Parts: sequence; C-alpha cells; structure tokens
Amino acid sequence: SSQLSSLPLQILLYINGIYYTFYFLATLAMIIYKSQVFSYPDDFLAPDLAMLFLMAILEVPRLYLGFKGNLTEAEAPLGLSLGLTVGSVVLCVYLLLWQTYVLWADVLLNAVLLSAYGLESGLKVMAIAAFVS
Amino acid sequence: PADTRDAAQARVRSAPAPVTDVARLCVCDLLVAQCDVNCCCDPDCSAEDFSLFTTCSVPLVIGDSQLCSQKAAVYSLDVEANPPERIFKLIDQVNPSIFCIHATNYKEALYLKSPEIPTPENFDELLEKFGGATFSTEPDSWNLDTDAQNPSEANETSRYEYGVPVQTEEAFLRLPSPVVSCWCSDANPAGFLVNQATKCIRSVSVEKCDSIQALSMLFYINSSILAVPKSSQMVNITVQSIVVQSLNGMRTLLSSSDVLRLPMVLDELCINAVLGVNYHITHTDTGEIIEAAAAFVLGAISKEALSIEQSFEISFTQENTQPVPLSGNPGYVVGLPVRAGFQPQGYPFPAAFLSNKHSQLTILHSTSTQDCLAAQGARAPVLFGYNMISGCKLRITAAMKCQPLAQTLLDVLKGQSFPEYVASFGNSQAQDVLDWVPITQLHISEQMISHTLQSPCQIPVSLEIEVKWTKYGSLVNPQARIMNVTATITTTTLKQLPSGRERIIPITSSVVFTDISSPAEPSYKAWPTINIKLPFDFFYPFV
Repeated sequence: SSQLSSLPLQILLYINGIYYTFYFLATLAMIIYKSQVFSYPDDFLAPDLAMLFLMAILEVPRLYLGFKGNLTEAEAPLGLSLGLTVGSVVLCVYLLLWQTYVLWADVLLNAVLLSAYGLESGLKVMAIAAFVS
Repeated sequence: PADTRDAAQARVRSAPAPVTDVARLCVCDLLVAQCDVNCCCDPDCSAEDFSLFTTCSVPLVIGDSQLCSQKAAVYSLDVEANPPERIFKLIDQVNPSIFCIHATNYKEALYLKSPEIPTPENFDELLEKFGGATFSTEPDSWNLDTDAQNPSEANETSRYEYGVPVQTEEAFLRLPSPVVSCWCSDANPAGFLVNQATKCIRSVSVEKCDSIQALSMLFYINSSILAVPKSSQMVNITVQSIVVQSLNGMRTLLSSSDVLRLPMVLDELCINAVLGVNYHITHTDTGEIIEAAAAFVLGAISKEALSIEQSFEISFTQENTQPVPLSGNPGYVVGLPVRAGFQPQGYPFPAAFLSNKHSQLTILHSTSTQDCLAAQGARAPVLFGYNMISGCKLRITAAMKCQPLAQTLLDVLKGQSFPEYVASFGNSQAQDVLDWVPITQLHISEQMISHTLQSPCQIPVSLEIEVKWTKYGSLVNPQARIMNVTATITTTTLKQLPSGRERIIPITSSVVFTDISSPAEPSYKAWPTINIKLPFDFFYPFV
C-alpha cells in the first residue's frame, strides 16, 4: 500500500512547532528588552505585542490541522492549514519589516521562520495534489 | 505680495530641519567664522591651522551607535607628515552586536522630537498644555481648581499635615518672601509645621503710605485661620506684642498691644509701618490649629526712603509644650549656639534660650562706631566651631576714674549675665548635673606689679574664651563634646594721664575652639575562633 502522507512535511511541521516556541519566547523577550532600553511609547508597543500574540494564536490550529491533514491524508484540513499559513506569513512579514524596532536578531529569526513557512507551503501543495489525485 | 506673505508664513510654521549628515556636524565648532583650536571638523579652519593642532578633540562623529550599520566621520591628525595635516574619512561603522538596531519605524527613536510651532490654530491648545508654571505628562491631573476636587478627599483631610498650606477664609496664610528677586511676593503660603524666616524688600513712598496694604497691621491679621482644612471653625489671629522701632534703630516694647496702629503720615514720616511680623501658631498633636498670635515690629519710614526691608517669621508650637532648641543630638553641630546656664541652689538652671538671649554665652559684637562705651548692648551668640574675634576702641580721658571704668569694661566684655556653666553635649538636659562643664575664669595681669606701695588700678582689656572639645563616640560618626571652657581676662594698668590728653586703647574679645581629641584608633572585633571540643568519651574504650 502506497503511503500518500508526505514524510518531509511531517518532519518540517514537527520542527516548526519546536522552533516556533523558541521564536515566540525570544521575540517576547526582545520586545521587553527594547521597551526598557529604547524609548518605546505605549501606542507603538501595543500593536507589536498584539501581532505577536495573534501569530501565536494562529500557529496552534495551523500546526494541528497540518498534522491531522497529513496523517489522515485528508485535503480539507491541509487546505485550511495552508490558508492559516498565509495569515502567519503576513504577520511574520509585519514583524520583520514594520515593527517599531527591528533588531538584527529579529531579522534572523523572522527570516528563518519565513523560509520554513515557504517550504511548508510548497510541501503542503504537493501533498494536497497527491491526496486529490 | 500675498503669496510671499503666505510663503513666509509657511516657512515660519515649521522649525528648521535637523542636520543629520555626519560629514556636516561638528560639536566643537563654537566660534562663528573662526577656527576653533584642536577642532578637526571645523569648516572654518584652513590647512595652516590644521598644521598647528596637537590632537583632535572630536575624533568621531557618529549617529546612534546602536544602529547596525551607519555612516561615521572620522577625523585624525597625521603627525608624521610635515606639516601635520588633518585626515577626514567617511566610513561605515558596523555594530557587531546581534541586538543592534537594523531598522526603526518610529521616527523619534533616534532623534529628539521637534517642538510644535505655535500657529493661530493650535495656540489655545498649546497654552493649556504649557501655559502653567509646571508641565506634566498628564495635564488633567494638575487641576488646581478647588471646586473640582473629589468630595471623598474632604473627609480624609480633617487635619493639617506637614507642609500643607495653612488655610484662611479667603485663601492661604501669607508669609511674604522674596521670589526670584529680593522684592516681596505676597503669594507665598505658610506651610504647616514649616518654621520659616524670610526677609524681603518692599517699595514704598511716604505719600502713599496709608494706602499701601502691606504696611498696615490689618493686612496680616484680618483673615482668620481655619482650624482644620475645609472646615468652618475659625481661629482669629491675636496681636501678641508690638515693638516700635525708631529711625535710629532703637526698639521699644509697647505696654498695650490691644490698640491697632495703622500707618499714617506725620511730619514727613510715615509712622506705624510694619517692618516685621512674627507669627506663633499653636497646634494640637492631631494637626488642628488652636491659637494664632502675631508679634509686630512697627517703624517709621523717612521721606527719602524708596524701599524698606520687611522680615517675617512663623513658628509652630504644640500645645502644652515648651520647646527648647537643641544645639545637636547628642554632639554639638557646627554653627549652633553653645548652650550655657547658671547654677542657683545646686542645680544647673538653663536660661530660657528662646527669648532671653542675654543669658547665652555671648561675646561682644563689633559695631560700626567702634566705641566701647556707646554700644554696650550689642552681643553675638557664640556658635560652636566658629572662632570669633571682636573688639572696640576705648577713649580714655584724664577725667575718667579707674574703678567705674574697670567695671564698665568688664560689663562690655562679659555682658550683663555671663553664664557659669556650659552644656557638654548639644542635648544636655538641665537635670543631668554631670553633663554641664563649669567655666573656669582666669585673670592675667599684663604688667608686672611695680614696687610702689599703692596697688595700681587694673582695667580689663581683653577676654579670651577658649573652648576645648573632643570627638566622642564611634569612629565613623564622632560627636562633638565640650570638655573644658576657660575665660581669661587680661588686665593692664591704667596710667594716669596728664589733663587734656587722651588715649585710645583697643579692647578685644575672642572665642577659640580647640580640638583636643586624641587620634582615634580603629579597633576590630576579635577574629572568630573555631571552638571544637571532642566529646568527653570520644576515646571510650581506650581512655
């Protein structure tokens, strides 16, 4: 019996989960650091924190749906996960370009996350194509 | 003309843009159109000027160093070349830290905010924000309008607290004081429990003296004080005493202080003008004012005077207490008066220090006339740690008799009541007999006793008070303690003068404070020893 689930996608989703935890904690710590060291008024701090937490809230169902879709070889959850990935990409681009202070560490973290999202999206599309056909 | 005016207005509306190009910024360029010494970035300097420099005071002009990569202007002097020349390099400075700022989307992060230029549109808003005496980040909380205060606060402040302005029916109890300049400002409120003494100058004119409010007694006592803030209980200000000061400075205490004396013009003088007010407020220990009294000094203003100096003082006393000012706790504090007293019937009896200044330890106060016999009353208190010397000149004529002259000079030198005991510590109590040091009186005769039969008359010419004090207590916080006070009177023989001649003798008095403390030896606690004892039966089977 041929297996339609994509192993690279599964590995990538698993690593994404671990990396995202590290990314969230690191970005939160850096925002706290920035608010102490630089002048960070409240009306600039609030949107940045809101985007970060929104991204965390989106990530959980995104990863869950990705795991479920890939393992059960169902294209609906995988498609939904792809949609949520688009939202996560937008938020990641915001944190990369339009944050109040973009540190070099921010650039690195977000670049890695963005590339992971890109690779994941490609693999998801291929998996959906495999499941549908 | 209309569009040039608009253009000019548009230019005025925004402040000039800040210069951010590091190649054009120079902080050491202070002189306009002149070369600043050792300023390598100064555009006014020529190559000959650079050859005379020794170093560059500003070697690097850079923006915020936390940015990851930015332009920096580096200035240096090449001393090897002949003549020395300045090297200017524009480099890209890289911050290697991983937390360097790559980009910011917040303009004021790295630059100061440009202030708003007032225009007719935003003027009112700017005036509201910045028009007061203080700026605040929350402008709404600085609402000084008393009507808008929370009613819940009225229940909490049912008593006065330290520093709270003393309220009267109209506004606050005024204590005129100099603000910024030396002219009197009547808007200074007196704070509760804040003892203040201020002196300020008021401009006056004799013609309008009865119309100037601040010269009349009524101005200072007509509003009654509220016993507690925001209450209806009033305390009237009573007149405690009135002292009238004449034009030559002599003060007389009036026997009856009930009559209110208002300023009026008399013989080209303005009399009954207020020269000083001394408020005494009595309060309970729960912060309620129960009594208020004012002591006035009234004086006369002559026609030529354009301004007078007024002095104001306020002091707070708790009811049923007699405050005694200490000169230190426990050791004497430099600058505070040395406490002294008498010992009638076996107990030291400290004189009342507040009002009876004559029983303190005092020395002669030099006056401008320098005549010993004219200024007999002027004395200055002896302040701890301050060596003082003063004197006067005595003119001796042939007609002066020796004995009364000697007695007068002794009074001039020692004062009316020279104390017998001095407090050893700044806070010595009257009951502690051992804390008081007796004043040793010595008598030195300047000239050898001649071999004539009659004893020549001796007059005192100098008084030297030597106070020996020591450091007492711990090494880090030594307290001053007076150990020994010696008053030495030096006398000299008064030679009889031929009639018609007169002689001038200088009379001096001095106070010297000598530190006789032995050098302190720091002592350390004993090293801790390890105290191990083996149990009694440690070597049981064998011992």
